[in-house]
Amino acid sequence: MKEVYIMNDKRWNHFFKKYRPHDAVAERPSAFTHKTNIIHPFWVMVSKEISDQVRSWRFIIMAALIALTCLGSLYAALAQFGKQSGSAEDAFFFLNLFTLSDGTLPPFTVFISFLGPLLGISLGFDAINSEQNRGTLSRLLSQPIYRDYVINSKFVADLIVISTLFVALGLLVLGSGLIALGIPPTADELSRLIFFILISIIYVAFWLNLSILFSVVFRQAATSALSGIAIWLFFSIFYSMIVDLLARAIAPKGMLTEGQAVQFQNFVLGLMRFNPGQLFSDATITLLMPSVRSLGALTMEQLEGALPTPLPIGQSLLMVWPQVTGLIAGSILLFGLGYYLFMRREIRPR
Amino acid sequence: MASGQVILYTPYTTISVSPGDAIEYAVDVINKSDQVFNGDIRVIGIPRTWTYTLKGGGYTVSRIAVLPDDKKTLSLRVEVPFQVNKGAYTFRLSAGDSASLPLTVKVTEMGSSETEFTADQSNMQGNANATFTYRATLKNRTIDKQLYALMANAPRGWTVTFKADYNPVTSVELEPNTTKEITIEVKPPKEIKAGTYKIPVRAVTGSTSASMELEAVVTGNYEMSLTTPTGLLSTKITAGGKQKIGLTVRNTGSADLTDIEMKATAPSKWQVTFEPEKIDKLAPGNETTVYATIQADKKAIPGDYVVEMRASTPETTSQLSFRVMVKTPLIWGWVGVLVILAAIGGVVYLFRKFGRR
Repeated sequence: MKEVYIMNDKRWNHFFKKYRPHDAVAERPSAFTHKTNIIHPFWVMVSKEISDQVRSWRFIIMAALIALTCLGSLYAALAQFGKQSGSAEDAFFFLNLFTLSDGTLPPFTVFISFLGPLLGISLGFDAINSEQNRGTLSRLLSQPIYRDYVINSKFVADLIVISTLFVALGLLVLGSGLIALGIPPTADELSRLIFFILISIIYVAFWLNLSILFSVVFRQAATSALSGIAIWLFFSIFYSMIVDLLARAIAPKGMLTEGQAVQFQNFVLGLMRFNPGQLFSDATITLLMPSVRSLGALTMEQLEGALPTPLPIGQSLLMVWPQVTGLIAGSILLFGLGYYLFMRREIRPR
Repeated sequence: MASGQVILYTPYTTISVSPGDAIEYAVDVINKSDQVFNGDIRVIGIPRTWTYTLKGGGYTVSRIAVLPDDKKTLSLRVEVPFQVNKGAYTFRLSAGDSASLPLTVKVTEMGSSETEFTADQSNMQGNANATFTYRATLKNRTIDKQLYALMANAPRGWTVTFKADYNPVTSVELEPNTTKEITIEVKPPKEIKAGTYKIPVRAVTGSTSASMELEAVVTGNYEMSLTTPTGLLSTKITAGGKQKIGLTVRNTGSADLTDIEMKATAPSKWQVTFEPEKIDKLAPGNETTVYATIQADKKAIPGDYVVEMRASTPETTSQLSFRVMVKTPLIWGWVGVLVILAAIGGVVYLFRKFGRR
């Protein structure tokens, strides 16, 4: 027990030095003139969490993995550019960087939808339980701060880390694309890229919130990590198989009218959309391929008289708005649940 | 001298000709006596302006000798001048003292020394887009070579082209007593009203001129155009919503258009209504406004669609492709915002209830 305290003292030393409200007031000679110099305790906690995260090996490994796959798919996309007959006059030429693939490596978006959850889980799975196991939580809470600062600051710090990583990756692809292609993206393309990055952040935030919830629920960090990974595996590998099986079982027999077939297809798609990965890929495909006009099955009747033209960004966004809403609301819900459980928890010093 | 023994013979003694024609007589001089006939041969009583040549055996002859019981053939060529009065002219061909052959030439029409400019068919019909092609003949009936300037006095906007030997020309040169085929191509202006138009054409030299009047009967043509007042051929509609568009129907032809029907081809479950649906009458050059109301299908997916609109009469039709961009209604977007707000509200409630104790 003693050792633990020593170790924890080290860990929190910086924090305690930086923020001691009662000491701070005493140390301050001119409290009224230098008010702005005092950093709000919440942001102190956030900056500490950020520095903890970016120095941790798991984040470095995950970031390196994502950056490498990003570079790999970027290379594949650029190689594919030469083979494609499309010319620079094509609208949305630049967006192909994110969606083109030569078949050996999946495009960038697929990598994000696959590795993004892993990043989120790895950032959040030990958020609360490790503090508790180390016994630092009760010590931290003995400080004059609100209790929810702990969970909030962890969430905000992880969100900032994720956002920084994705914005950096997006700019990396943008910059390499500029060097390789020599054609600047149009305003429409740029705004689509920004929304793509935003949605990626929201998607990873969803998994982050899930793992923070698990870190509240499970006392053991390993259990929390494994449950997160189990859910990730379930959704990324098994869920579509299960939906396929289910669809085959309940598929209407005999001849179908076009309307019935479309209705059934849309029902199956509706089931698929319980998978956050499906929501994310729906959203990114629509944003990065402006020619996509519908995400469900369509009757011939609906296609009659339609021109194969790209949608304006507003319409693309409106089309994926339900998906984005689902992701945002889902992550807020998970966060709320984790928050509730954390706030109701009895925390005793060891 | 057995004067009765020499006979002059030709089969056609009375001939009808036009002024300017030439007559070839074959005259046999028959000697029925037992002596050689040798005597002068002359044309007597021919009008002074007329010219004639008398030939035998390739020579111009004035005296002829015929063996007994033999005959010689002479050819007499008489050229009737252009300037001659209508009527019958009789002259005699005499051989020696006794034989004489009266010949009568009937000039069937009044001769002139003028130029003739005529067309076989001076009246033609066609629509405003047609080219009227007249075949005319120019005759120089003067005794001099003439250089004719060809002119047309067409109404404004008409184009008249003279062609000789397939080449556009403005003047032609004609030897005396020759003719030339001249093609006159007449193009009416595009937006001409139906009716009969007269185009005087003339062939003029310093000394002589001829004119005629060509007639072009222009039938009305039927043309119409369907556009929008601004020329903008696209619009935006929210799925399930309506959009009213002003269309301009213009009669660009030259005849009245009646019973113009407005129709549209739109994607299924779309509705296009016109106000009015039918235009009773539209005079040439006039235009009228028709309002089309396009209603998109409630379930239309966002993006661009084509709506074809047509104004048609039995004679002509005009089509317009309208590009309609369908937008999805914003209501579901707001519902999504509400869902997110509710979730945030829940978290805020949690903050309030648990966070700040």
